[in-house]
Amino acid sequence: MWFKKRSIISYVLLALFLYISMKLTEFDLSKFRDFRNMIDFLSHWFPMDFSLLPRILKDSLETLAMAFLGSFFSLLIGLPLSFLAAKNTARSPFVYHLTRVGLSFVRSIPEIVFGLILLTALGLGPFPAVLAIMFHNIGVLGKLISELIEASDPGPQEAMKAVGAKSWFASLFSILPQIWPNVLSNYFYRFEVAIRTSLILGFIGGGGIGQRLFNDFKTFHYTAVSLDVLVIMIIVILVDFFGSYVRNRVI
Amino acid sequence: MIEIRKITVLYPGMKENALNSINLTLQNDDFICILGKSGAGKSTLIRCLNGLQTPTSGEVIWDGLSLSSLNEEQLRKVRREMGMIFQHFNLVPRLTVLQNVLTGMFGYRSSFKNLMGWFTAGEMDQAKQVIQEVGLIDFMDRRVEHLSGGQKQRVGIARALLQQPRVLLGDEPVASLDPGTSDRIFNLLQEMHLKHNLQTVINVHDVQLAKRYATRIVALKDGEIVFDGKPDEFTDEMYVYTYDSFGYSRMPYTVTT
Repeated sequence: MWFKKRSIISYVLLALFLYISMKLTEFDLSKFRDFRNMIDFLSHWFPMDFSLLPRILKDSLETLAMAFLGSFFSLLIGLPLSFLAAKNTARSPFVYHLTRVGLSFVRSIPEIVFGLILLTALGLGPFPAVLAIMFHNIGVLGKLISELIEASDPGPQEAMKAVGAKSWFASLFSILPQIWPNVLSNYFYRFEVAIRTSLILGFIGGGGIGQRLFNDFKTFHYTAVSLDVLVIMIIVILVDFFGSYVRNRVI
Repeated sequence: MIEIRKITVLYPGMKENALNSINLTLQNDDFICILGKSGAGKSTLIRCLNGLQTPTSGEVIWDGLSLSSLNEEQLRKVRREMGMIFQHFNLVPRLTVLQNVLTGMFGYRSSFKNLMGWFTAGEMDQAKQVIQEVGLIDFMDRRVEHLSGGQKQRVGIARALLQQPRVLLGDEPVASLDPGTSDRIFNLLQEMHLKHNLQTVINVHDVQLAKRYATRIVALKDGEIVFDGKPDEFTDEMYVYTYDSFGYSRMPYTVTT
């Protein structure tokens, strides 16, 4: 009743893809024979070197600032663009397709590539990292929010047209209240992702705790690495809590 | 005065016209109920009146102007003089009753002021006045999603009244309400019709309600007007013809008041 003969092909294909992917990634659980090496390595991480805590906190603050600025600017720019990239609010098919293509374009470029390009002009430091996060997230938030707009109830928009409001204003005023809680949760998710991204950008000289982590790693300063990782985990969890708090207040 | 001249509407991808060369002139003191099966073209007709739907051919004349000749700015000025209420109320979610009602003024104010939510004390008083009229003054600061269906439609009516409209359009305003609530909503609509001298055009499925409140009934079938006259002229035979109904389903409706 539920399983049709035809779907056997799908299962065979799925199994094939799994097999090929495992081959390509050298996926082999027997490699865990050397598990002890990892335990041994991790044991060098402790005890944590708390004397570095003030400097680590300062760098974390820089990371938070990078992630916040980058993601906030991307929301600021992505939100208006998303209205142009949604079928039900786009002024013309041309604008719609142009915005869609533009958003996919910036989204398809990873932050680290933006970072590497911007480094050549702006030099090392957190500023190019902020811009890299911003560009990529404009693409991501623009797409996500445009999909929220497309899924919104058209009724209120029609009502706002019927009272004689300008059409751009009718769309904005009727759709924004509907999607606002979801916009916020998308935003906070991207903020959280941006924190992790800014770590990677730290590896290429973007500053913040990412750069510290990278340097500590490269200089075999493992007792500092463990504290870096702990602080990063705490930051991500705090941002997550803060995000759900704000979202609950808004709903 | 609204006059409809030979309007035809054909939706893209459809074979049959939704409206087929319809003529209709609305008189100033009309309280019209439009009857007809689902898909007969009632909604399309209502939506043509305020330009939410552009006819494929034909004209809607308002104050001597053809709606199709107007630019967007002029069309907005026409729309703000026509209040409209909807089956699903179409209120802006997450806003309060007062905030929703205030949107009725949007057509008369700059978009910037609307966006900032700047209203004068006079405008606030006007809004509270209409909320009082529909009997929701105690619910003014309540969010609209916490209201009952009947209350939501009252918010819709208040929003329309704040437009100080000359015409009130209703697209199945009571179709998702229970019979008692429907009755009270129609009572309110009649009261507003008389008090504000509102030309009223409403789609409705409940023939009994239509006969009780309308001053004129228009029946549509397959995109054409098959009846236009006084409520008591809308006979049982007309009912059966309009709705393609079997005789026995006349029973609940023949119990007239």
